[in-house]
Amino acid sequence: MKTEDLISALAADTMPRAPVGQQLGSALLVAIGVSLAAFAVFWGPRPDIWAALGSFAVLKTLVPLAFVLLALAFALAMVHPGFPHKRRGTALGALIALAALTFMIALAREGQVGLVSALSTPSLVTCLLSIPALAMPLLAAAIWGLSSGASTRPRLTGATAGLVAGGVAAAIYSLYCDKDMMLFVLPAYATAIGTVMLAGALLGPRILKW
Amino acid sequence: MRAANRGDTMAYHRLLMAITPVLRKVVRARGAALGPEGCEDVLQDVLLAIHSKRHTWHEDAPLRPWLYAIARHKVVDAFRARGRRVEVSIDDFAEGLAAAAGSDPAEGRDMEKVLSKLEPRAAEIVRAFGLNGETTAETAARLDMSEGAVRVALHRALKSIARLRERMIE
Repeated sequence: MKTEDLISALAADTMPRAPVGQQLGSALLVAIGVSLAAFAVFWGPRPDIWAALGSFAVLKTLVPLAFVLLALAFALAMVHPGFPHKRRGTALGALIALAALTFMIALAREGQVGLVSALSTPSLVTCLLSIPALAMPLLAAAIWGLSSGASTRPRLTGATAGLVAGGVAAAIYSLYCDKDMMLFVLPAYATAIGTVMLAGALLGPRILKW
Repeated sequence: MRAANRGDTMAYHRLLMAITPVLRKVVRARGAALGPEGCEDVLQDVLLAIHSKRHTWHEDAPLRPWLYAIARHKVVDAFRARGRRVEVSIDDFAEGLAAAAGSDPAEGRDMEKVLSKLEPRAAEIVRAFGLNGETTAETAARLDMSEGAVRVALHRALKSIARLRERMIE
C-alpha cells in the first residue's frame, strides 16, 4: 500500500479518542471501588478507627495519598510525548527522599534493636501480603488507563503506575493496620509498595508498548 | 492538528501530507540499510502511531516536540525490531534489497501483508478510502452500510492494523 493511500485512510478516520486522563480516571475509580469492597469484606477497619484518624496515625493514610498524587501527575506527563515531565519526576523523587530521610532519623534514634522489635510482629506478614493484594485491581486499572497514552519510557511508567496502585492500596490498608510505630510503618509499607512497583515495572514494557 | 482532532478530515489530510516528506527524510537518513521499501514501512509505522496517539498531544502545546518524540520513539523501535529480524534471516534481507530496485519507493510491503490478515470487509474499507479515495458516503452506499457503521469499521480496522504490524515486526 502506498503511503499517500494510507494517509487518505487515516484522514478519513475521524472518531475522537478520549483523553488519557479520562480513561485512567474512570478505570481507577472502578478499581478503587473493587479494592474498597474487598477491604470491607476481608479486612474491615480497626476498632479504634476514629481515634486513630484523629491522631498522628492519620499520616499512614495521608502520606501514601500524597505519593499517589505526585505519581499520577508524573505518569500522566510521561505518556504525553513532548510534555515536560522532569519537574514532576523531581517532586516525586524529593518526596521519596524525604520518606527515606524520616526512616533514617527514626532508625538513628531507636537503633537496630528498635527496628527488629518493631518488625517482629505477625502484622508484618499481613501488611506485606495485604497491600499487594489490595493493589492488584488498582495496578491493572492504572496500567490499562495509561496504555492509551504513548509512554516513551514504559518501564518507568509501569513502576510509577505501581506506585499509584501501591499507594492507594496502602492508604486503604492503613485503616485496618493497628501498628503505628514509624519503624514499622515506614519499612513495611515501603516494601509492600515496592513490590507493586516492581510488578508495574515488569508489566510496563509489555502493556505500554505502542 | 487542532482542527484534525475535532474531526476536520481535510485539515488532517493536509497536515499528514505536509509532515510525511520530513519524516521520510529522517527515516531514510537513519535507516539506509533497510532499503527504500523498508524505510517506507517504517514511515508508515510512524504515521500510524501519530494517528493512533493523536489524543496525547495537548492542544496548547507546540506540535513539533510532540511529533518529534513520537517519530523518534517509533523509528528507534522499528529499526531495533527489524535489525533483529535481519540478523535472523539473511535471505529476507537480500530479497528486500533486490525488490527495492524496481518498485515505487513510496510503496511499503508490510501493509499488504497486514491487510491480507484483516477481516475482508475491514480491509475493503481501508482500501476504499486509501486506494480509491472514496468518501464515507460512497463507501457506505457501495457496501450497503450506514455512514456511522463505516466510520466505526474504519476506526477499528486502523486500530487492528497498528496492532498487527506491532506483532509482525516482533
